Order: sequence, then structure tokens, then C-alpha cells
Amino acid sequence: MNTNVRPVLELRGVRVAAAARDRVAAIHRCADVLEELGAVQPGYREAMLDREWAMSTYLGEGVAIPHGLDVSRVLVRRDALAVLRFPDGVMWDGGRVTVCVAIAARGDGHIALLSALADILLDQERARALREATDPAAIVEMLNAVEDRP
Amino acid sequence: MIRTVLLGGRAGLHMRAAARIAVAAAQQPVSVTVRTLDRPAVPADSVLSLLSLGALCGTELILEAYGPGAEVALTSLADLFATDLDVAGA
Repeated sequence: MNTNVRPVLELRGVRVAAAARDRVAAIHRCADVLEELGAVQPGYREAMLDREWAMSTYLGEGVAIPHGLDVSRVLVRRDALAVLRFPDGVMWDGGRVTVCVAIAARGDGHIALLSALADILLDQERARALREATDPAAIVEMLNAVEDRP
Repeated sequence: MIRTVLLGGRAGLHMRAAARIAVAAAQQPVSVTVRTLDRPAVPADSVLSLLSLGALCGTELILEAYGPGAEVALTSLADLFATDLDVAGA
């Protein structure tokens, strides 16, 4: 298993104009894309919902990171990301979400992704750029950027 | 006062673990910061800041706090960082 490889966001994993009336619908849209990418088995969808009820995946700055549980790792075919932008916003436990970064991960490779995403969200300008990005290529570039760690 | 600890979570410092540690840090009477060997110190009571460290299992974490209660705060947070929080009952 490529447990230490950071999952890469593909262009086909980005939806810039998704719509969902609530958090559950938003997670279903996220699961739809992960399934389309061939990243997860259908059962991963339920694991994402279970995880959400265990604790909100709202991260801050209008971004949530729906993902599965430890026990659902077996339902992940390959580590992958999906980014769904909800221009109308979705009310979440924690705030109003305009961007979901859905994660399918088997090992700890996504920790580096979380670090890169946290860096973006801790920077007001970059956080806003991510929320307002309408060009899928720009979103891919932002999330795949190699961290220039000091 | 400084305390060094190795991250115990096998899956790395993920969101649930970070959230649990941030809540515990917020309950301390002193501010606690955490850094790694290649990332500057961040507040331990911020989930985003903890995630930004990108800490994997075994990553060396340097905790720092000062003032009355610092020692107890460092001990309790170091224990949490060293624990695999994904294990049932942890």
C-alpha cells in the first residue's frame, strides 16, 4: 500500500458549480465524485456520513473535509481527492461551507494534504482564493502545490 | 518549559485527533505551543494550526508553555500526543 504518498487532485475530481440543500446532500455529492473517480467502493458513502455524525468535518474558512472512518479504509480502492464547490453555500455544523475537499485515504498520505490545506486556510488571502476559485485548473494547482517548508 | 514527545497516532495527526488535542489545550490555564523540527511553533488550541504541522506517527513534537500550571499542562498534552487516539477507549 502506498500509505505515505500524498493523494493527488485530478482535474476530473473538481466540480466548481455543485449544489446541495443540506450537509447530507453535500456529502452524497462528494461520494458521487469519489465513486466516479473509481477511488472508493459504494459503501464508503455510508462511512462518510457516519464519520460526519461522529464529529463535524467542518475545518474552518468555509471549508469542510468529508471523509470516512478508520474501519472504512478497506473500501478505498486508491487514495484520491475530490473538490466540490457549492457557490450557494451549505449550512454545516460549524459554519457555512462553500468548498468540500472529500478525502479517500488508506494510510497517512493525506496528512500532508491536510497540512497544505491548513496552510491555505490559515492565510486569509489564499483561503479566499480557494473559496472563490471558479477555474478547476486553479483549484488543482492550489491543492497539489508542494509545500515549501522552511 | 519545554517537553518533547513523539506522535503516537499510527494514522498521523488527523482531524479528529487534532480536534481532541485542541480542546484539551484550550482547557489548560496556560498557552501551549507545538512545533516540529521543520515547522515553527503554533498554538496547540487551534485545529488548523495543529493540522498544518503535518505530523506523522513518530514525528518529534516540541511543546512549550510558561507560567503557573505549565508543567501539568505540558504533561497532559504530551500524553495525548503520545497516545494513539484511534484505539478504542483511548
